[in-house]
Amino acid sequence: MKRILLPAASLVLALATAPAFAKGDPEKGKALFYTCTGCHGIADYKNAYPTYRVPKVGGQNEAYLIAALTGYKTGDREHPTMQAQAESFSDQEIADIAAYLSSLKPAK
Amino acid sequence: MTLRLLAASALLALAAPAFAAGPVGNIAAGQEKSKTCASCHGATGNESLDDTYPKLAGQHPEYLVRALQEYKSGKRKNAIMAGFAAALSDEDINDLSAFYGSQAGDLHDLSKIDER
Repeated sequence: MKRILLPAASLVLALATAPAFAKGDPEKGKALFYTCTGCHGIADYKNAYPTYRVPKVGGQNEAYLIAALTGYKTGDREHPTMQAQAESFSDQEIADIAAYLSSLKPAK
Repeated sequence: MTLRLLAASALLALAAPAFAAGPVGNIAAGQEKSKTCASCHGATGNESLDDTYPKLAGQHPEYLVRALQEYKSGKRKNAIMAGFAAALSDEDINDLSAFYGSQAGDLHDLSKIDER
């Protein structure tokens, strides 16, 4: 039993600790994010259709942001505007944007 | 007459903030229902157990409603969230979203990006 459990446990650990994404550069991410401020940089900005407020992304978790943008890029996650944006990004650029956004702290 | 007017204005006053805030949810009820969510998203939605889970505290309630509705319908795919969202009624979704939206956290829009 232990003989099976131990390798299984190490595999889970390895999967959990392996870097799942390229290291992002927040400075590059900041430059890339300039386009995004057209929607995400306006307080209470509403998506045209369907109408709802676009999410706050400043201070969000890095790995979640990578998953979200990658989802839009691959089409797993649907949103016309976000899919169009994310399609143009490389994995490295997505990592850069996520590194930048997750590094931001709320303005005091 | 005066009483009726008073009652009508009281109702309006109660309803007004709900219109302004978008989806109508009950914050206290949402907090009660959020206990399951807390094990991954933290008590206020600001302390994610894992970096792959989003912070929810202070997020726009309308966006949270949309996310939960899409997990529930299957439009947005996530193995963990699909299971939880399937069990939620529209009222549950509105309450949870109201609760997380009302919490203070790290999330912010980037309208002050140039003043940083």
